[in-house]
Amino acid sequence: MSDSINTETSTDTETNGEQTVTTASPSAETTAGESDERVREEWRQYEFAGDAKLSVENLDVWYGDDHALKDVSMEIPENSVTALIGPSGCGKSTYLRCLNRMNDRIKAARIDGSVELEGTEIYDPNANLVELRKRIGMVFQSPNPFPKSIRENISYGPRKHGDINKGLLARLFGRDDTEKEGALVERSLKQAALWDEVSDRLDDNALGLSGGQQQRLCIARCLAVDPEVILMDEPASALDPIATSKIEDLVEELSKDYTVVIVTHNMQQAARISDQTAVFLTGGELVEYDDTDKIFENPESQRVEDYITGKFG
Amino acid sequence: MSDAYATTDRLVSADSNVYDRGLDTAIALSVIGFTLGLVTLVNLVPPGASGSALTTALGTLLAVVVGAVGITGLASYTNVVPVTSQRVRGIGLGLVVSTLALTALAAVLPVTMATLLGIVLLAEALAITAAGVSSRLELVDTEPNMSAGLLSGGALGAVGLAMGAAVGGALTGSGSLLWLVGAVVAGVGLFLLAILPREDLGSTLPTAIVVGALGLTIVTGTIGVGWQWNPQTLSGGFTGGAVIPVFLLVGTLLSAWSAAKCRAGFGARGREYGAFLVINLNAFLMVAVMATIVVFVTIKGVGYAVHGLSVGALTALVLLTPALLAAVQFARTPAGTNDWNAGARQLFRVLPLAAIGALAAMFASVLVTGTPLRYAYDYTVQVNRQGQALDTAIAVTPDTSIGTLLLIAPALLLAVTFFRSFGSLRNVGTQSERADSVRQAVPTVVLGLVVLIGFFLVFGPAPFGFPLNETLAFAAVVAGSVAAGGLAVSPLVGVLASDGPTLAESAQREAPLFTLGVFGGLGLLLATLLLQPVAGINPRVGPVNLVPAVALGAAVASLALATLTTVAKRSSEETITRRLLTEETRLGLVGAAGFTALVGLHVAVTGTSFNVLGVSIANEGSLSWPMVMQAYIPLGAEPGGIMPAIIGTVWLVVGATLFAVPLGVGAAVFLTEYAEQGQFTALVEIATNALWSTPSIVFGLFGAAFLIPRLGGDESLLAGMLVLGFMLLPLVLITSRESIKAVPDEYRDASAALGVTQWETIKSVVLPAAMPGVITGVILGVGRIAGETAPLILVLGSTLNATAAVDVIDGFRFVSGPPFIANDALLTASASLPTQVWAVIAAGVSGSPQMGWATAFILLMVVLTFYAVGITARTYFRRKLNYE
Ligand SMILES: Nc1ncnc2c1ncn2[C@@H]1O[C@H](COP(=O)(O)OP(=O)(O)OP(=O)(O)O)[C@@H](O)[C@H]1O
Ligand SMILES: [Mg+2]
Repeated sequence: MSDSINTETSTDTETNGEQTVTTASPSAETTAGESDERVREEWRQYEFAGDAKLSVENLDVWYGDDHALKDVSMEIPENSVTALIGPSGCGKSTYLRCLNRMNDRIKAARIDGSVELEGTEIYDPNANLVELRKRIGMVFQSPNPFPKSIRENISYGPRKHGDINKGLLARLFGRDDTEKEGALVERSLKQAALWDEVSDRLDDNALGLSGGQQQRLCIARCLAVDPEVILMDEPASALDPIATSKIEDLVEELSKDYTVVIVTHNMQQAARISDQTAVFLTGGELVEYDDTDKIFENPESQRVEDYITGKFG
Repeated sequence: MSDAYATTDRLVSADSNVYDRGLDTAIALSVIGFTLGLVTLVNLVPPGASGSALTTALGTLLAVVVGAVGITGLASYTNVVPVTSQRVRGIGLGLVVSTLALTALAAVLPVTMATLLGIVLLAEALAITAAGVSSRLELVDTEPNMSAGLLSGGALGAVGLAMGAAVGGALTGSGSLLWLVGAVVAGVGLFLLAILPREDLGSTLPTAIVVGALGLTIVTGTIGVGWQWNPQTLSGGFTGGAVIPVFLLVGTLLSAWSAAKCRAGFGARGREYGAFLVINLNAFLMVAVMATIVVFVTIKGVGYAVHGLSVGALTALVLLTPALLAAVQFARTPAGTNDWNAGARQLFRVLPLAAIGALAAMFASVLVTGTPLRYAYDYTVQVNRQGQALDTAIAVTPDTSIGTLLLIAPALLLAVTFFRSFGSLRNVGTQSERADSVRQAVPTVVLGLVVLIGFFLVFGPAPFGFPLNETLAFAAVVAGSVAAGGLAVSPLVGVLASDGPTLAESAQREAPLFTLGVFGGLGLLLATLLLQPVAGINPRVGPVNLVPAVALGAAVASLALATLTTVAKRSSEETITRRLLTEETRLGLVGAAGFTALVGLHVAVTGTSFNVLGVSIANEGSLSWPMVMQAYIPLGAEPGGIMPAIIGTVWLVVGATLFAVPLGVGAAVFLTEYAEQGQFTALVEIATNALWSTPSIVFGLFGAAFLIPRLGGDESLLAGMLVLGFMLLPLVLITSRESIKAVPDEYRDASAALGVTQWETIKSVVLPAAMPGVITGVILGVGRIAGETAPLILVLGSTLNATAAVDVIDGFRFVSGPPFIANDALLTASASLPTQVWAVIAAGVSGSPQMGWATAFILLMVVLTFYAVGITARTYFRRKLNYE
């Protein structure tokens, strides 16, 4: 279509959009959009000051024959919040799982490309998965606390990593860290804004908490391991506005010391809490990646604008 | 109806109360009739019984019913079990009334059990007809549908078909096809009668006809006790003794259904209530089948098994108290939603309460009247030889040492409260540093004592020839007693030393110490009490027996504290403190009770009396072991016991479990968590299933031909353990696999995302979550192997009536060469319960048949004990996994 040339050369995207809507069918619009993105590599080239915590290059993911993520490259700056948005099924979760190699756990998944954490390739065959996942924590889409007490949930990671010793043997050898555990549990729960609600029932089973409390418990559990990067997959998807705003506050708070990558379906949420936003669209493509303000106020891509304003996706 | 329609604001006519009560009684009568049918079916009371035998049997039933209803009513009155449903009360009343009527009938008329049952059916038929007709005449408010429906019609038609065929066949004799006419007429007739009229008639009249016909057949003696029918087409035959109970079961089921429908006013509610009753009676039948087996074996075996057992009534009462309390507790927990059948469900909940209460009342009456209870069994089992009737009896002797009663009964009562309050301790005690240090000391000291006890258990009181009991154990017991006392008194000291301005404030500040005092003191005292008999010493200071004295002292201290905290509570304002103090008060009280209970139990079980400051508490000879629990005495006048066989079976099960569980669970973990799903895992699956269905004798042959030559060449306990272990293995594997697969993947993902390795994840998340399933497998498997006989005959050896049990623990010794540790006991032949039963009952080897039944009874008890342990463990893990 002639629009493609038009868009390519002209900066007047406004006119272009109107033309498309009035003159073309939706499929025509998409075709226009696609050809439109292909030549705009630089929309994904996000320039920022400071170091990149994670840098992803030419990442492709297949589930069997299904090409779920196509040639994604992206640099994530340190101590910031990066939002990933896009329609359902576009590969946000897939992308997130690539960052701490949780995709390795899916048998059908095949991954190609490179992800570097502070310059170290995490897909190196010799990479230490335990160390990697200690440094890059993850909070899942639906809360998944262990069927243990709240205290045990929090101290689970540190105990398994040998940072906290408890029990009969530890007591015998005089290295009982009950106090340290208590402090860690308190700190993590306070960080996750849950302490006040549960401080008097730390030994109750975590499954007795409400959904929102469980999600914050999962965040606290992740924080207890003291990661550098926290990956969150729609942490507020099942929560009411109050619990959601608690989690949003928490994310903003965390971004001072941690690098947070968060998937969300909620545009306002992304706009509120993130520093930069990456937009994925159907087919597993990263279409545009820039400052959050830029993306929400003046996106380069027509398709992104449509998606954000709710016309598409 | 009155309560069923209470919410709909409908006017209830004056006579509906009669209608309701009448139907309640009819339902109750069907329940009793059903029970009597079961009782007759298993011949507990023969159908031909009449006169005083019948009256006695019914009198017992009456006593049980009155006891159960009475205690439930009492509990309801005192609000322990809030029975609010009119319907349940009505049925309770009906149960009493109808049992009373039946008993009176049996006492006045010269009827047999069979006739009485026939009368029950006739009465049912009358009641149902009356209810249906009065509903049709609109004398009462009901909501019947247009028709009873095809389902009810079909069921009744089928019953009619069967009855018609039977009657037709009996009238015309075999060979003719005329019976078919009768069958069709009766079947179609009942079917039409059920579906054509309005529901109130349609679901009562046909039922009444069937039930009435059944009743008439029995009452008129058409089918009497001596009745017999041997159709030529069948090789066997039917007797009245078997047919009458079956008639009764069918008849009462039908009439219960119909009466329940009437009672709930027909319509949707009626159908629901009817179905509820029928389903419940059916479930009852299930339970009854299991119970029959247990009861049958118990009746056969218990007399001999308890021969020589004598229990003081007080001891029995005391042993019963926790059960009673547990039952009360069980009954008190809410029975779920408050819907229409909650009342009925509650009735089932309070049954254990009623049963235990009745037992308690029995023992209490023995205590008061002084008449011992005697159960005399007089039976002969003719297997290979003439069984001689033994004078077996349970003699419950009255015991009047009031001191023990005063000591133990309230103590146990309070001890239960103590353990109930256990949960509240977790949140108590973070405030005080002193409490923290004591808290750390308590487990250490208790652990030390436990280790010490274990040491004595393993090496005896004089290990390596050193008479430690004179020195170390003495010191340990003394130290334990002193520490117990010290801990118990520590709160008192804490309060006194605390610098709070008022006593109340000091008490508040030191509240956590009370907990520790109670707990620490109790734990240490328990350990010391255990240590004392093991070490074989009895420390005394002058005339005072130290341990009980300390216990008494600690109890008094705790009581003092309880009083103190009660005083403090009164002047305290803060709510948290108040809560804490309330708990502490209770804890102080129950702690005191706990100490006292320990002393009481100590006296009750060991029979040793003790003296404190001139007060003597004794309960000598209140428990003596039954003869069957001793070893076989070859030439004694008394028949021998089976203790060695019990120990042999316990060791077999323990050994097999120790062998199979780690292997089975390990393999399950490998197959589910590590191995790629594919041909190999499929093969393993087929192999395990095949192994599970392999006949046990094949395992035995394998053991005899393969294991025994490699294990010293002789039949042995170890070979038995291994063979049973092989049998247990597949079930453990299968169930573990399923339950590990059922653990959600989210747990594994969550753990992996925290950087935890797969093995750690399996160990700390997957296996605990799969534990209840694994334990279920072990429970099922143990049930199978514990009673396994065939392979044991081949591999365990035929030690019968052994005079000594295998001593596995003492059998261990170190050797200089490989395998460095040896156990001769494992390599010797052993007795076991199943082989003993087989030998005595089937093969007729030594011992009387009663001995065989007694052994079977004990075997049943052993298996049930293993069940109980397994189910407790499973409940524990389930509780841990699910929030409370
Ligand atoms: N385990 C898997 N096996 C096979 N295909 C998968 C798997 N997980 C995801 N996919 C596919 O990959 C694509 C991207 O999925 P992904 O879960 O990353 O989407 P998403 O953007 O997170 O969607 P949502 O917003 O709904 O969570 C989808 O087409 C999905 O069907
Ligand atoms: Mg997703």
